[in-house]
Amino acid sequence: MFNDKVEAKDFEKMDPEYQDLLRRILTIQADCEIGGPHLYVEKMLPSAPTKLDQLIVARTAAEEIDHYRKIARLAGDIGVDVSFVLSWPNQKRYVETFRGKITTWEDFAVFGFLIDRVGRYQLEEFIGCTFAPVESLLPDIIKEEEGHIDFGATKTRELASKGDESKEKVQKALDYWYIKALDMFGRSESKRSERYCYWGIKRRTNAQAREAYMKEVKPLIEQMGIQVPDPNKGRLYL
Amino acid sequence: MRPAPNTLELDEHLKEIVNALHRAVSYTMPHVDDPKIANKAIQDCKEILGVVMKGEISDWLK
Repeated sequence: MFNDKVEAKDFEKMDPEYQDLLRRILTIQADCEIGGPHLYVEKMLPSAPTKLDQLIVARTAAEEIDHYRKIARLAGDIGVDVSFVLSWPNQKRYVETFRGKITTWEDFAVFGFLIDRVGRYQLEEFIGCTFAPVESLLPDIIKEEEGHIDFGATKTRELASKGDESKEKVQKALDYWYIKALDMFGRSESKRSERYCYWGIKRRTNAQAREAYMKEVKPLIEQMGIQVPDPNKGRLYL
Repeated sequence: MRPAPNTLELDEHLKEIVNALHRAVSYTMPHVDDPKIANKAIQDCKEILGVVMKGEISDWLK
């Protein structure tokens, strides 16, 4: 296991596998950060239920753009240009979750509750990362992601507590995003995931992170009176 | 190590965009019940975010 700390100036001296993995993970992270606003800005900014909600949609997008900026700067400093993802159509995103559009408030709420939580998990993978410059970015980004998760959880709970049609819409959104969330962790048997851990770029394998996520969200969903979807139904990556 | 092209310029540009959005939202939050102020801020955010969503980087860096 590799556990030295690597500074940006030493990146080129690293093993080619380390360089490839770091380039890849930073590109995907940047794509995921900008992929969120591309999902919801167009439809949710004009149609969120209240003016306050509209402003919160704008603030959330601003924070995600800033996360993209920070990751893009880090990648750029080691010679990796991730700017192409700014103009990508959603269908080309690295992660399947970001390839559609969010068109309902229930989807926006559940997206914050479940998908931004996966975002937090992905960022927490970098805690103790052997590529030292990543760590200094984490506290602020994770804090803002937690804000998105809290907002999403609060709105999901509120919508579910209204019962009837509102609760049904939440269940439908949750059925969709829960499976996407689990898939975001990648394949359990991924060899690449093991190499990320070997090089100290990530802390946990895909399977370990997904397991922890499921353990965290299950009681939260149940407390809302919503059914936890079958975790194996409709999955792309097991 | 040579940075990727336009790294600094893009960083600066996006920083300005993010700051403009935060300014609009922060100023408006306490006045959210005033439709004139709220509508103006939301419209400003739509326009700024519309530019980001288009992603025409070459235009940004002109």
